[in-house]
Amino acid sequence: MYLPDFDYHSPESLDEALSLLAGLGSGAKVLAGGTDLLHKMKQGDLAPEALVSLKGLDELKGINYVEGRGVVIGALSTQNDILYSEVLAKKYPSVSHAAKKMASNQIRHLGTVGGNIVNAVPSADLPPILIALGATITLASTSGKREMALEDFFVEPASSVIEEGEILTEVAIPDGGFTGSSYHKFGLRRSGALAVVGVAVSARVENGVIQEARIVCASSAPKVIRAPKAEEFITGKTSAPDTLAELQAIVESEVRPRDSIRGSAEYRRNLAGVLAKRALIDAVESGHGIHAED
Amino acid sequence: MSINTKIIGRSVPRIDGRDKVTGAAKYTGDIKFPNMLFGKILTSPHAHARIISIDTSAAEALPGVKAVITHKDVPDIKYGISPARWDENIFCIDKVRFVGDKVAAVACTDEETCYKALKLIKVEYEVLPAVLDFRKAMDAGMPQVHDEYPKNINVEIHQEFGDIEKAFKEAHLVRTDAFLGNRAYQSPIEPHSATSLWDGDKLTVYSSTQSPHYFQYYIAREFGMDMGNVRVVKPYVGGGFGGKMEPTGLEFAGAVLAKLTGRPVRMFFDRHEMFAHNRGRHAQYMEITTGVTKDGKILGAHSNFMMDGGAYTSLGIATAYYAGALLPLTYEFDHYKFDLFRLYTNLPACGAQRGHGAPQPKYAFESHLDNVATELGIDPMDIRILNARRPETVTPNDFAIHSCELTQCLTRARIISNWDAKKKEGGMPKGHGIGVSTGSFVSGAGYPIYRTDLPHSAVVIKVNEDGTSATLYTGAPDIGQGSDTVLCQMAAEAMGFHYEKMKIIAADTETCPMDLGAYASRLTLMTGAACKSAGEEIKKSLLEMASSMLHLPPDDLECEDAIIYSKSRDGKALTFQEVARKHFVLKGPLIGKGSYNPPKLGGKFKGSPVGTSPAYSFGVQVGEVKIDEETGEIEAVGFWDVHDCGTVVNPRLLHGQVHGALSMGMGESVWEEVLFDDEGRIKNPDLANYRILTALDMPPVESEIVESYEDIAPWGVKEIGEGSTNPTMGCFSNAIYDAMGVRVYSLPLSYEKVWRALKEKREREHGGKE
Ligand SMILES: Cc1cc2nc3c(=O)[nH]c(=O)nc-3n(C[C@H](O)[C@H](O)[C@H](O)COP(=O)(O)OP(=O)(O)OC[C@H]3O[C@@H](n4cnc5c(N)ncnc54)[C@H](O)[C@@H]3O)c2cc1C
Repeated sequence: MYLPDFDYHSPESLDEALSLLAGLGSGAKVLAGGTDLLHKMKQGDLAPEALVSLKGLDELKGINYVEGRGVVIGALSTQNDILYSEVLAKKYPSVSHAAKKMASNQIRHLGTVGGNIVNAVPSADLPPILIALGATITLASTSGKREMALEDFFVEPASSVIEEGEILTEVAIPDGGFTGSSYHKFGLRRSGALAVVGVAVSARVENGVIQEARIVCASSAPKVIRAPKAEEFITGKTSAPDTLAELQAIVESEVRPRDSIRGSAEYRRNLAGVLAKRALIDAVESGHGIHAED
Repeated sequence: MSINTKIIGRSVPRIDGRDKVTGAAKYTGDIKFPNMLFGKILTSPHAHARIISIDTSAAEALPGVKAVITHKDVPDIKYGISPARWDENIFCIDKVRFVGDKVAAVACTDEETCYKALKLIKVEYEVLPAVLDFRKAMDAGMPQVHDEYPKNINVEIHQEFGDIEKAFKEAHLVRTDAFLGNRAYQSPIEPHSATSLWDGDKLTVYSSTQSPHYFQYYIAREFGMDMGNVRVVKPYVGGGFGGKMEPTGLEFAGAVLAKLTGRPVRMFFDRHEMFAHNRGRHAQYMEITTGVTKDGKILGAHSNFMMDGGAYTSLGIATAYYAGALLPLTYEFDHYKFDLFRLYTNLPACGAQRGHGAPQPKYAFESHLDNVATELGIDPMDIRILNARRPETVTPNDFAIHSCELTQCLTRARIISNWDAKKKEGGMPKGHGIGVSTGSFVSGAGYPIYRTDLPHSAVVIKVNEDGTSATLYTGAPDIGQGSDTVLCQMAAEAMGFHYEKMKIIAADTETCPMDLGAYASRLTLMTGAACKSAGEEIKKSLLEMASSMLHLPPDDLECEDAIIYSKSRDGKALTFQEVARKHFVLKGPLIGKGSYNPPKLGGKFKGSPVGTSPAYSFGVQVGEVKIDEETGEIEAVGFWDVHDCGTVVNPRLLHGQVHGALSMGMGESVWEEVLFDDEGRIKNPDLANYRILTALDMPPVESEIVESYEDIAPWGVKEIGEGSTNPTMGCFSNAIYDAMGVRVYSLPLSYEKVWRALKEKREREHGGKE
């Protein structure tokens, strides 16, 4: 229950952080809110030689609307920053809602979106809704920046395409596309519960007909996954009850959950189908939702 | 009967409220001594294994390590909290019996070094096959957890009162249902800890305990010391719920480490170690059979139980007897049979948890009773009113019941929950259900845990010399339930004094008269009785003093609100303060003493003492739930609790107990369960996956009390702290059944189990196809 010894660095700019990381090599880890990292270190699962804290990097903070790029969320934005963001309240309350469903107030005050993504666990609550909205991320290193779809970031539990020396700087939700979105999380109590299953859906609806949809499932496979067959099935249809029942069954067939302490594979499979249906209804009927605090 | 009181019945602020909310309160882990060391215990990684060798040399060589001890360094006298089965050693000698069994301990200059030192102790084990399923523990060929207990039977009970066969023969319906309980853990927020120090031959232990007295007794016994040389002090405690009743090993190991090093030693559990030490709720397998008339009158009942005891006895003998003994409290029937086996397994030992053995059997019985009612077409509320116990009755197992307002509780609960309207077709929104369940609990155990003729409670009140305040000295431990406050209210009431001017020194075996401890919901009645005698003695001395000051006979005088006045003559009055001061000047310290011993209680059969009490509380809960048919998610929509707990000393604290008990009961009903892997390791020893409820999960609660007075108790009081946990699980079970028409036969009634039961029901109804 004690942290192993490590060197602590607190750079004041992204450039400084990146060159520190480049110099320190594989023994170094980036520290944001620490809610995942410090826990692993205390459990003895990780013992980095050095931590590079991002706390001083103001350029990684803030949630803004940028013309041409959409809503840009700095990687250091905390879950509470997301929950209480005016910009998101206006554009994507569904994202604020996903943050609201996370952890507890104390953890939401520390945990960041960057950490939630880079930690790369299949139960993380922010990736599904961000992927559903087509978000991209920016990874910076001393050799420059690269941008990629968040969807392509994850490989398997606790593993992603991030490379040594890279820092995730921001997440961007591009304009356009979808007329509605929603995230449904199923937890086993109202606070401090990880998702047994979480499903985010986004949809572009015209005259009641779904033109395009994304269905993204957390805690349903070794990594957060989309349900392509279900997405294809629902395209061109309305959210009629029979259609939804079929959609539910297709999602159930696409997810690959395992038995876990929070629920059997069979139960989680069922939940994925139910939540997909409910999230789709919301995305069709309620746009991007009402702000979580309303 | 209504009584005329000044302080009893008022929601005075808690005496410890300010310290607690400002963070000024010092808990055991906050106490520091110069030169203090930190200690930790090494535990077994195996469920069942022979110890081949222990090598402590590497740990001893680590800088900062001051002592390492194993069984060789401590007495080998077995201990436990149940004298009939002392089966624990301070450290294991030849075998370890569960993952978490204690093997060695270290004392170091800081906490971090302790963890490092533990890793350096090399223990060689020969792993043995383990008993992990209590329902198979008696089977032929199972490993033996303790050689002394064949077939792993720790406790075996067979009792019969009346003639059960005859009752079942005469019954219109005889029905059996079987239920399985869960292992739950108390999860107090404050971890267990103990800080030990020696002064010559005298040992002082600051401990997070519910019973300084039992700790003192067992520590003295283990080390062959006079009790007078062992001082146990309880600082503020952050919850116990039964889990801090018995020595944890921290006190024994700490005492030895402190002796060896000559320095104070602080020992503590972390959250994982708390789960491993356990002493929480036993999981029970419960078969209930009742025979009833056509109208639903219960003629007789048979409880046939098995309990998962874990590796040691702990308080389990009492738990085992309680499991069956308390069942006949709420309903009247003459014929009762009770069979039980408590089995040893290679899992953490189970003990007493809020409500002790009663809540799971109550879940089984109340669920079963609803099944009976359904079969007979009777409303669940009606079948309970029909069978409800009445005052001045005796249970088949010889418990004498005096006050009992269960019928009134049921009637009131029916009204405030709007039961009848909700039970009508369409009376609630779709997915909603409503359930009712009853409960009852002892107001203190009739007999102490070890055989002794010492009084159960004793107090001293000293009026301070200038008469401006008085201090209550009591061994009674406030562990968060509020006993310091209500005992001061009771003392002040008896003295005719002000609550606001009371001080308290409590739960220190050296400065306070003894008290058995905070368990079996005993303090308000028993320690309250001692406070009453002590307060009345003070009042008597004061009136005598005032009598000579006023030249009036003592029986013409009264003391109320700290004023002594003449009943016959207006204007003749003195203040408490001036009379008390005069008393000190002329007669010496103004002191009152009181002690309490319960009357002789119970029958003459084996096990008859367990469950006896001077008085019993009665209560009813109605719960409304909403079920999500597609996911099985359960939302508690509203709860109504109506209690007969005699005279209420402090309404706000009482309702706080009801809310707290309900939240614990709710957790056990749906959310909490200690899970093990197939090697006996706990899968969820943390508060993330062992889900105690959060404030957000609590439904609106209406807590009411009915008018009741217990003649044999001081001011007519009874218990509240534990009884409110008893009905909750049955209430959920019945409400879920009402909502969905499915019954889940095992605790916890998790979302997934409800979902599965609904799925199976749909499959049955649609011939296997949804
Ligand atoms: C009690 C509790 C409850 C929780 N409940 C939830 C929940 O309900 N839902 C949920 O999704 N999560 C939950 N979490 C997990 C955690 O809080 C979140 O994943 C959080 O967002 C992590 O962010 P952080 O800033 O604390 O990450 P850190 O712990 O600081 O970092 C996590 C990982 O990401 C890396 N990293 C962080 N930032 C960057 C960056 N900008 N660039 C590159 N690498 C980076 C770190 O090196 C580390 O490997 C919970 C955690 C706790 C302790």
